[in-house]
Amino acid sequence: MSEVKSYRKPYNPPVHAATWWTQNSFYKMYMLRELTAVTALFFVLEIVLGLFLFAMCKLEVQPATAESAAPYLWWLQNFLGNPIILVLNVITLFAQLFHAVTWFNLMPKAVRVFMNKNSTERLPEYVVKGSLYLATIGATVVILVFAFATI
Amino acid sequence: MRQFLPSRSDEPIYWLMFGAGGMVAAIALPSLLVLLIVAGLTAPDLTSGMLNFSQISGLLGNWFLSLILFGIVFLLCFYSLHRIHHSSHDFGIHSKITFFMCYGLAAALAFGALALQILIYCKLF
Repeated sequence: MSEVKSYRKPYNPPVHAATWWTQNSFYKMYMLRELTAVTALFFVLEIVLGLFLFAMCKLEVQPATAESAAPYLWWLQNFLGNPIILVLNVITLFAQLFHAVTWFNLMPKAVRVFMNKNSTERLPEYVVKGSLYLATIGATVVILVFAFATI
Repeated sequence: MRQFLPSRSDEPIYWLMFGAGGMVAAIALPSLLVLLIVAGLTAPDLTSGMLNFSQISGLLGNWFLSLILFGIVFLLCFYSLHRIHHSSHDFGIHSKITFFMCYGLAAALAFGALALQILIYCKLF
């Protein structure tokens, strides 16, 4: 048998520990940004629970009584009023504001808007970001005014 | 084996819902969370207070507003679970199982919410 030197160089992917992102603050910021999605999921679960408990009410009773609407009133008073859920909602609010800021910061890089089709001149970043912040403020005003006006 | 592999990726569909959901989260979620916090602080009941029973009856009895609520819930489901699915890769889970778990849960939550909304709409009339 002859000894033949192997020139094969297989690719061995590096194995990272699951805590690789604790090495520096840039990685930690990335992870924090990704994990704001967990708080969005928490919001969805709250809403779906509320819908489920609303569907459990005796909706054919008109006008509604405290007994016929008991499941939904439990969600309103005991679930949303629970201090733990309140704290989680406040954390979710701040996480979503952080998500909004980071999302709008990356928008000019993700979506390239040109001034016209004959040039490579791009819309300034502050126009893209500013219009998105205006959209958030507008939607916030519309939703809050609508919600408080229909109480 | 190669002939059994899909020739085109299905990722653009999920990425589209992720992008739309991220935009919905950034634009609409802060104010909706303010509503939930206000409701938690003021202990509403049948006819008074934020998100009280008659207000939500009006919201879910209106097909247009209910459809907007479904759109928000649907996009947020797929947005958040798409991001969690790709974050699981960052935490060292390189399994295909998270794909089925995340998008399965997203579809179940979104269409469960739609089924509940249709049920409520039919019961209110």
